[in-house]
Amino acid sequence: MSAKLEIRNLVKKFGGLTATNDVSFTIEPGQSVGLIGPNGAGKTTIFSQIMGEHPQTKGEILIDGKEISHLATPQRIHAGVSRTYQVPRPFSEMSVAENIRVGLMPDSIWDMITRGPNREREVEIASAIGLGEDQLERLPSELSMGDLRKLEMARTLATSPRLMLLDEVFAGLTVNEIAVISDLVQSMRDDGMTFLIVSHDLKALEPLVDHAIAINHGEVIAQGQYQDVMGSDIVRASYLGTA
Amino acid sequence: MLQVLIQGLLLSGLYALIAVGFTLIFSVGRVLNLAYGAYLLIGGYAYFYFAQTLGMPKFAGVLMAGIFGCVLGLLKFQLIVKPLKGNHVAIEISTLILAVFLQSTVIFVFGDSSKILLPIIPGVERVAGAAIPFSNLFAAIASWIILLSLWWFVRSTHMGRAMQAVSMDAKGAAISGVDANRVNMFTWGLSGALGAIAGVFFASYTQLYPGMWVAPLIIAVAVVIVGGIGSIIGTLIVAHIVGFLEILTSAYIAPELRGVFTMLLIIVILVWRPSGLFGREEL
Amino acid sequence: MNLRWHHFALWALFIVGMFALPQFVSNGTLRTMIFANFLAIFAISWDTLSGRTGYISFGHPFLIGIGAYTTAILTHRFDFPVEISIPIAVIATMVGGLIVLLPALRIKGSYFALVTLAMMELVYQLVQVVRPDLTGGTRGMSGLPTLTRGAANGYYMSVSLMLAIALSMWLIMKTRLGTALSAIGMNEEAVSGSGLSVTKLKMTAFLMSAFIAGLGGAVYIHYLGSIAPRALFDINFVFTIIVAALIGGAGTTIGPIAGAFFLTFLLEYLRPWLPGAERYMVYSGLALLIYMYQPKGMWALMTQATFKSKIRP
Repeated sequence: MSAKLEIRNLVKKFGGLTATNDVSFTIEPGQSVGLIGPNGAGKTTIFSQIMGEHPQTKGEILIDGKEISHLATPQRIHAGVSRTYQVPRPFSEMSVAENIRVGLMPDSIWDMITRGPNREREVEIASAIGLGEDQLERLPSELSMGDLRKLEMARTLATSPRLMLLDEVFAGLTVNEIAVISDLVQSMRDDGMTFLIVSHDLKALEPLVDHAIAINHGEVIAQGQYQDVMGSDIVRASYLGTA
Repeated sequence: MLQVLIQGLLLSGLYALIAVGFTLIFSVGRVLNLAYGAYLLIGGYAYFYFAQTLGMPKFAGVLMAGIFGCVLGLLKFQLIVKPLKGNHVAIEISTLILAVFLQSTVIFVFGDSSKILLPIIPGVERVAGAAIPFSNLFAAIASWIILLSLWWFVRSTHMGRAMQAVSMDAKGAAISGVDANRVNMFTWGLSGALGAIAGVFFASYTQLYPGMWVAPLIIAVAVVIVGGIGSIIGTLIVAHIVGFLEILTSAYIAPELRGVFTMLLIIVILVWRPSGLFGREEL
Repeated sequence: MNLRWHHFALWALFIVGMFALPQFVSNGTLRTMIFANFLAIFAISWDTLSGRTGYISFGHPFLIGIGAYTTAILTHRFDFPVEISIPIAVIATMVGGLIVLLPALRIKGSYFALVTLAMMELVYQLVQVVRPDLTGGTRGMSGLPTLTRGAANGYYMSVSLMLAIALSMWLIMKTRLGTALSAIGMNEEAVSGSGLSVTKLKMTAFLMSAFIAGLGGAVYIHYLGSIAPRALFDINFVFTIIVAALIGGAGTTIGPIAGAFFLTFLLEYLRPWLPGAERYMVYSGLALLIYMYQPKGMWALMTQATFKSKIRP
């Protein structure tokens, strides 16, 4: 259940502004890669290009060697990639179980009507992600920030991705919650999931990734082993704000 | 030919005046105010009551219409738009309900039948077979003056620039010290007053009746959508496109079809190019 | 499917109650209830598209009108029997509505609402001038074949249709399709991010809505026996439909029905005091108050008051 992601010469322009400029990198199956860079460097823009929410101006995106750049978001999900958002926005008037249900649905109207929800699978995903059975009927408004992040991951996981893009998974969490999410990612890595993770919390990120890609001003400035990337002068400079 | 040109110019001027208040709200508040047509309704009836029933001077009647519109705009902002906190769907629906409420209030007070509004300036001049009522001429000229001074106001005054700032980026404007609430209040009041004054002219151009708010609303929507949200110059240009389309249609095709192309214009532009012909976000 | 036996018991009770009513009330009340039934059908149709997915239609009479005019023209001008013309009218509404509004479903929020509003006004103007020999022009048509005679029969017909539509929509909305449609209204991006084609879902909602609108519109004019463009393509009619759905509770099945009955009877009871259109003052004032206080409608208010818990019917 691992996927390989190749990004080739990705360019994204919003009007006159260049958000990403000639970004290329490859993530091997089963790797876990941190995407780092200062605010506004273009990290989230890369995510939304991979998902097809804001299609790229130029360049190619491949999953397991298959070009996905021309596909709509739902087809990309079926190709095996899925993402979480910086600010979790669950279906606000639906229970936890129903939120997961939407992620589990087949993309066929006929199937939706004729077959009922898979209750066991919903419970299974919820408990895999650390949401108790007593929380299944709760509304998102009754959940803590940590549980909201879990719900976001549960809905993402329900689409059976082989590559997950996590956007600022640790933002707004307590130390305990960070540990829980971290364990979760760790165990999914052991099962072979490929990860691309954006986080400002480098201390929390470090144990989860083996590689890193650093970007600034929409360009890749360093990539390779996590320690090497973090140790390079250009990355230090960009974090100090001198680049 | 000259007749069509003259009628087109007169009607277009009126349409520009109708649309400009709607443009203001749409660009500053990012709100689709479906009760905009009701300003025209209230303005028309306020003028009718003060100038014709009470016999006040006509200028005072127009002024009263403007005041009523302004107060209505302010109330609407305070009681409906602000509590709904940018929930666009809810604002659209509640302004639609409000429009029907105001319509039935007018029926309750003035009755269901249409009223004849005496021309603000009596007299008609004939040019090349076209009758030019002085009222309409006055409305067209007034609308040009109002639009140009508004354009100047937005560009050159402190409040105008604050409106521009809010229309471009409400959050950014707040950070740089613009009081968005005050700007919004001002815009809603101004829009209400402009709408109500337009209503006086519109009612004397057509007639004064409780259902008269729908047509100007659609015209305002058409002008704003086609012209691009928030562009005053775009508003002026497109008001002329819509006005001339109507005059040409009724002169050369069939009078009953005069509104058809306006609707088609809205639909085609919205589906094909939602940002309008003249772009957006530049008040 | 999340169905419980007491849901069906409540439905059974509701259906029996509705069918027993003619035994207890006067013919005048029955006539009022017939209108309430039709309004409920239109409100359910509106809710299927707008209440669930959040794509607000301000031009629903456009859909109702396609159904109504198709069957009126077929029966009146071409002597089609009603049994054939009504199914054709329903199909025409679905196909015609889809051709016109499919491009509009791409655009979001306010713009979709505006396109539907413009569509309704466009059709209103066209119907009066294009082929008046078919449409009857401004005056419309009268002397159309009627389906029933007498208040009681009219009531049974309208209430059966309304209940059949309500029950089927309730069952469909209880499935995962209903969940997916409501999800669009809450966060469209996350729906496509869950691998579901939003376009396909919106189209399904639209077709169901058009089916109900076309069927309701066609049967309605065969109850009235006449059709007039001004009464049909009217912003007050849009308003009544939307307010019925909202005041009862959008996104539910029982809400639009409750709203339709409440509004129809409110208007009827106000008649002795306010005979004309000024009745809408009370009606819209009340609607505005309820909507500003609880946008989810009376149903939400009532369940809040009685159960103090989150019961979402």
